[in-house]
Amino acid sequence: MTPDRFQVIHPKDLIDYRDRAGDIGEASWPEFMMHDSIANEHWHELFDRFSEYQFGLLNTETNRMAAMGNSLPFRWDDDISALPEGGWDWVFVKAIEDHKNKVTPNIQSAIQIAIHPDYQSQGLSIRMVQAMREIGQSKGFKYLVAPVRPNQKSKYPLISIDDYIQWTNDEGLPFDAWLRVHARAGAKIIKPCHEAMIIRGTRAEWERWTGMKFPQSDMYIIPGALNPMQMNVEKDEGVYIEPNVWLVHQIEE
Amino acid sequence: MNNERFQVITPNHTNYRNLVRGLTKEIWPEFMLHDAVANELWHELLDRFAEYQLALYDIQNNRVAAMGNSFPLRWDEPLENLPEGGWDWAFLKAVRNHKQGVVPNIHCAIQIIVRPDYQGLGLSALAIEAVRSVTKSRGFQLLIIPIRPSEKHKYPLTSLDDYINWKTEKGLPFDAWLRVHLRVGAKIIKVCHESKTIRGTRAEWGKWTEMRFPQNGQYIIDGALNPMEMNIEKDEGVYIEPNVWIMHEVG
Repeated sequence: MTPDRFQVIHPKDLIDYRDRAGDIGEASWPEFMMHDSIANEHWHELFDRFSEYQFGLLNTETNRMAAMGNSLPFRWDDDISALPEGGWDWVFVKAIEDHKNKVTPNIQSAIQIAIHPDYQSQGLSIRMVQAMREIGQSKGFKYLVAPVRPNQKSKYPLISIDDYIQWTNDEGLPFDAWLRVHARAGAKIIKPCHEAMIIRGTRAEWERWTGMKFPQSDMYIIPGALNPMQMNVEKDEGVYIEPNVWLVHQIEE
Repeated sequence: MNNERFQVITPNHTNYRNLVRGLTKEIWPEFMLHDAVANELWHELLDRFAEYQLALYDIQNNRVAAMGNSFPLRWDEPLENLPEGGWDWAFLKAVRNHKQGVVPNIHCAIQIIVRPDYQGLGLSALAIEAVRSVTKSRGFQLLIIPIRPSEKHKYPLTSLDDYINWKTEKGLPFDAWLRVHLRVGAKIIKVCHESKTIRGTRAEWGKWTEMRFPQNGQYIIDGALNPMEMNIEKDEGVYIEPNVWIMHEVG
């Protein structure tokens, strides 16, 4: 691997940055994950308000984008252990509110690091975490926090995330590969956020998103979901509540 | 599909054992190969019930494309009383009946499988037909089967009692394997909730599934119809597989 062929770029560097970044998102997530209403309503704000907090890794040999990172600044005066259960959805809304109200931010939150499947297992994730921290550093923030999605939790949908994040491997590092990448880069687990994303859809929508059928009100295991999804046939609504883990990277000593 | 291409062969065929070797392993998730009753008794199929075993032989490629395994047993009660023990029970019962010289009166299939690269050719219906022919040629009226619904594994939190009532838009069973049987006239009798019981240590389950089981609890296992329950203190994971008793009236 020659990591040097990868160059950090920002939205202003590529005219079709958003299209290319969007392709990575679509290739990285299960379809249902593309239907978080907060994300869909506010995604454009990342570029309208927080453009310098968005970045990608460009493979300079092929001119392909290999990974993307999204983050935003917000104001947090409490202890970081008080960060809310709302996780991902909460921080996205909070950052926009702060920006609209001209509140000076003092902390950075990552909301996504996605690596195109063709480029996984090449050590790019650690590079992305590093690039994310450098943004916070350039802004003079002390902390980078992140509501992180532990990837392999999807294989253990009946285990509570509180238990899952305590699982370790033989080296004493987190069992989860994505938590491990962060831990190796110096991150600490703050706590789970149990309602980091809420994804609602009609029965027909969930059937389209998953290729499954939902003939009765019940809990369903959805491939790629971290917890079961609850379908209510009478209300014609399936609700998936995604738990994440608040992590913190200390940027400055 | 050209039916001339697939011939029914039995253990009388000189190369039968070689032809079917490894077929079961191709079909099932690894953990399904660790049912204690199956592993203890499998040899009895050829030792005691050879004339009930068959395979569909692809004469173009000299390979076995499908297999049907069955045996006779004695059942004098109504079919509604068939036990929860399903698959494991039937196998034990058939062997016991045979050992004791009890005259059988019903035919029971325990496995009808189509090799993965032959799926989608309609061979499952052909294999069912071949097994039904055995029922008839042996003079039985009824063929019963504790069947494994093929798509239940995608719905491991739904009870099988509910699942078997799911229908397609045409009113046929939602489950593809149930649908194949019902199309050729089978009827659902009821669910057997403890058809197979698979026990293993934590290390064994880890090897079978490539998962980790760091704590007590229920785990979703790829290919399993219900969750598996792991008990760390006992160093034992138990998976209890539910099946569906169905019956074909053949005679």
